Amino acid sequence: MKLSAEARDVLETSMRINKVDDRQRTEIENVVAAMPDDRVLLYKNVVSNPIGDLPRYSIHIRIQHMLTFVTFLTLAFTGLPIAFFDHFWATPLNTLVGGVDVSRIIHRTLASVMILSMLYHMVTITLGPIQQAMQGRFELRRTIIPTFKDIRDFKQDMLYFAGRHMQRPEMDKFMYKQKIHYFAAAFGNIVMIVSGSSFLFPEFWAAVLPVSIVPHFQEMMRLSHPHEALLALLVIAFWHWYNVHLAPGRFPMQWTFLTGKITREHQIEEHFLEYLRNLVELPEERAYLLDLLAARELDENAKGMPESPAVAVTEGSVP
Amino acid sequence: MVPDIITARQARWLLIAVCGLLWSASALAFEDDEGCLLCHKYPKMGRVTEEGARRSYYVIPHVFGSTVHRNVPCTDCHSYIEQLPHREVKTGVTCDSECHSIKNPATGKNFSHRPIAKEYMRSTHGRKKQAEGLDADKPYCVTCHRNPVYNPNEEGPPKRIVDRCVICHEDKKFVTNWYKHTSRRIREVKRSSEEIVALCSSCHGNERMIERHLEAAKEEGRELGRKFSIAAESYKKSFHGKVTRYGFQNTPNCLSCHAKQDNYYLSVHFIRPSRDPESPVSTENKVKTCQRCHTYADKNYAALDPHPTDTREDNPFIYYAEIGYNWMAYIVIAMLVGLALVETIGRRRDGVGWRLHHGSTWWRHSRRGRDRVS
Repeated sequence: MKLSAEARDVLETSMRINKVDDRQRTEIENVVAAMPDDRVLLYKNVVSNPIGDLPRYSIHIRIQHMLTFVTFLTLAFTGLPIAFFDHFWATPLNTLVGGVDVSRIIHRTLASVMILSMLYHMVTITLGPIQQAMQGRFELRRTIIPTFKDIRDFKQDMLYFAGRHMQRPEMDKFMYKQKIHYFAAAFGNIVMIVSGSSFLFPEFWAAVLPVSIVPHFQEMMRLSHPHEALLALLVIAFWHWYNVHLAPGRFPMQWTFLTGKITREHQIEEHFLEYLRNLVELPEERAYLLDLLAARELDENAKGMPESPAVAVTEGSVP
Repeated sequence: MVPDIITARQARWLLIAVCGLLWSASALAFEDDEGCLLCHKYPKMGRVTEEGARRSYYVIPHVFGSTVHRNVPCTDCHSYIEQLPHREVKTGVTCDSECHSIKNPATGKNFSHRPIAKEYMRSTHGRKKQAEGLDADKPYCVTCHRNPVYNPNEEGPPKRIVDRCVICHEDKKFVTNWYKHTSRRIREVKRSSEEIVALCSSCHGNERMIERHLEAAKEEGRELGRKFSIAAESYKKSFHGKVTRYGFQNTPNCLSCHAKQDNYYLSVHFIRPSRDPESPVSTENKVKTCQRCHTYADKNYAALDPHPTDTREDNPFIYYAEIGYNWMAYIVIAMLVGLALVETIGRRRDGVGWRLHHGSTWWRHSRRGRDRVS
């Protein structure tokens, strides 16, 4: 495969960061050259372990996701019956969670846990990059910070879905969908915390804001808390759960949030640039891929060459 | 033909009827020295008024005998009755009359609800018993206070108390009643928040009644409170109202803010409009009223709206903000669901499926001619 300038840059950077020696470099270049130019053939032909093949999330991120996941749903189930009290489902749901005497305690306790989870996440995303930077391993494009490339990726992906482009874009560790989702969740979290605090500590907000703003602020918070909660719940139910459970290729579920690993098929399809880094960082992945390409007769290096026993790997040897 | 000798069967029925009458007489739980039950014991006792309303004057002896007024002779309240059968009643009972038979043990005076009635008459709800026009919409005493029946399940005094008291007071029945009377007042028997909201909402949530008052005020050029027409509805939508609805007792109900708290039982009868400086929710008193629960409330805090609404007339800011929020939600959900659909269609066209088989989901035929190597 002839890499694009962007992919080549990612690969070179990764090799530099990982301080690969000449032998490793040759090996990596050999694997890259062996990959078919049609990247779709690559992710269509790999064999993936459903619970994940390649590292993606640290244990900290998985704990934070689990905390947010549990607290968010419980907060929604305890809060929505109060906000939407006049709907038919409100009273049964409120009774189910123990009535308002109980649910208010659950709601406030779990809100505190959710805030702690957010703080834990902020510590992680601050200290992690600092540590990486000190080791000379930090890459901005490998983070979730949006770049102009995401807009290009989005446009190209739409063209691919519309059948007007043959390839999905070469996306990084975090693609445009994940960035949208992450920042929407971060924004929503802040809105929920600020508005929730305005219910719990109304005197504080009244004291710190000018009197002309106070009523509007409080009313806006009264409006925002349930609306943001409902919007988040709908986004989770219709989009996030679709992406991680219902989408073809992800069904019945992605195990990444538990194992921290992503399937090979998914990594190559939607995070190709990260897969290039995997090839640099994981020698066993290079060996796997070479075996696979040979077994599937997709090895670009072998094309045009006389058949050699060295590349005639049987399918049984592919993990 | 009238038989001159009654048969055994008729005699048996007659005996049952006499026993029944004797039993019903023994069931009278209060003294009817004035003989009112001579007529009022009959269930059909009643009339149809000139307006066509049916009025029942039936007094069920054993029920009345269980009420808080069971010891008050009829003529103490119905003091206009001077002879039997009595003349047509014009005014009826007013609650500020004096009971000549019940003395206030503290003052020795005739017992009366007059102190409360006096406060009530000064309140915005004050009206005479016979009222016309808009005043007839206001609640009279009996709108809120019926003649409550003692709960038969209410516990009587423990034996050790009865044993002690009967030594001097002799009468066990007197001891039991006195204990119940006193202990009931020591225990908290005021209405729950839900009941108070329901009671106030029966008028303040009555659209026809509100409409009448709004129209009259407009014609007369009178000022009404900004929240007058939406008081009940807006309270129910407030956080206070929502949790009260679910039975939470530590949030304010109508009386928590609109009545003074120096003597709750008296001041709840003295509700004044918010524009009156005497009202706890007037501009002058609002901060102190908020501080009853929100200790650190200041004048900024008092600017918050405890009756929030989202109507364009009352609160255009929140009305348009809510429209914006709703549209944002519709657009976001539509775009995300649209993206998911486009993505699914696009990827399926290239051969992905939902079946995970031998480590891959790309088993379907691709329309772009690049199938998985089998």
